[in-house]
Amino acid sequence: MYKEKKLKNIIITVGIIYLILAVLNLFFYDGSLEGIGDRWILKFGDNFFLGQINPMTLIMSLAVMGIFLLFIKGLKFERIPGRKQSLIEMVLDYFWQLTDETVPVQKYKKPTFVISMTLFFYILISNVLSGIPGISTTSVGGDLKAINLFTDTWYTPTSDLNVNVVYAVMVLLVGHAFAIKSKGLKNWLKTFLSPTPLMLPMNIIGEIAKPVSHSLRLFGNIMGGGILVFILSYMLKYFVLPVVLWGFFGWFVGAIQAFVFALLSIAYTGSLLE
Amino acid sequence: MDLSQALVVLGKAIGAGLAMGIGAIGPGVGEGNIGAHAMDSIARQPEMSGTITTRMLLAMAVTESTGLYSLVIAFIILFAL
Repeated sequence: MYKEKKLKNIIITVGIIYLILAVLNLFFYDGSLEGIGDRWILKFGDNFFLGQINPMTLIMSLAVMGIFLLFIKGLKFERIPGRKQSLIEMVLDYFWQLTDETVPVQKYKKPTFVISMTLFFYILISNVLSGIPGISTTSVGGDLKAINLFTDTWYTPTSDLNVNVVYAVMVLLVGHAFAIKSKGLKNWLKTFLSPTPLMLPMNIIGEIAKPVSHSLRLFGNIMGGGILVFILSYMLKYFVLPVVLWGFFGWFVGAIQAFVFALLSIAYTGSLLE
Repeated sequence: MDLSQALVVLGKAIGAGLAMGIGAIGPGVGEGNIGAHAMDSIARQPEMSGTITTRMLLAMAVTESTGLYSLVIAFIILFAL
């Protein structure tokens, strides 16, 4: 009872802060439609190829990890589960059934499950963050131009192409490593030559096309939705972000895309192991 | 603006418009197909409607991906080229 009242107080305080900042933005912010596709990039080390970072991605990745650690702080496992624990158990049980019937080798069921669940929770929290108004930056031509407080939503790490490509390549490499360990090197090389040795280019292209589609689906959904709602909010002069629009693009599409990402990573790993 | 800048803007506008416009035909037809077959199977077996709805949403999310590729190309043409 006391905990629920404290939660309600926190929500009311945050709501009042958002409302005050929204009214201030209506009067003092002359928004312009510039710097849509640009990002703030810091260069160091005289234009070396690996010498550029995107600081907002680093900061928001650490913030997502911090949110997740806050959520599970003080979570004890009991025999008769409370609300938090039973919710998480429902989600994990559904995915464990999927893993059980997709991955044929007994030894690799739990590692596949753990890897895909980590990816699922990380992408889910990032996408849900992209639907809440918060601090973001605008930049023109790679330099920082302005820091917006609560006119646009939080910058999410999954709207950066580097992050998504790293996840997809990781899933590919892990799948192939499991296949080599479980079948041996010769049998793994033989799967490229099946059913006939003439199919070797097609198999290689198929293996490369998997991470491309895997990563671009997530990137396109999140960043495309973000740009669309940005343009629409500009037409409303930033007074009230359209809540229904963000509810659809941010939370619904984001949750479904996180689920599809985890499901496809289980399917790819499972199909390589048989 | 002078003629060369106007030509660049013309090329960008036509390119992005054609890329997204033609690219939105495919996923629309495909997802309608998925929805139609899902409705048929729910009418045949109403007790499985929860499972069928979940699988239908999953299949629609994968079908959407080629439409998203054309959206990404349209944004690249408009804003980064």
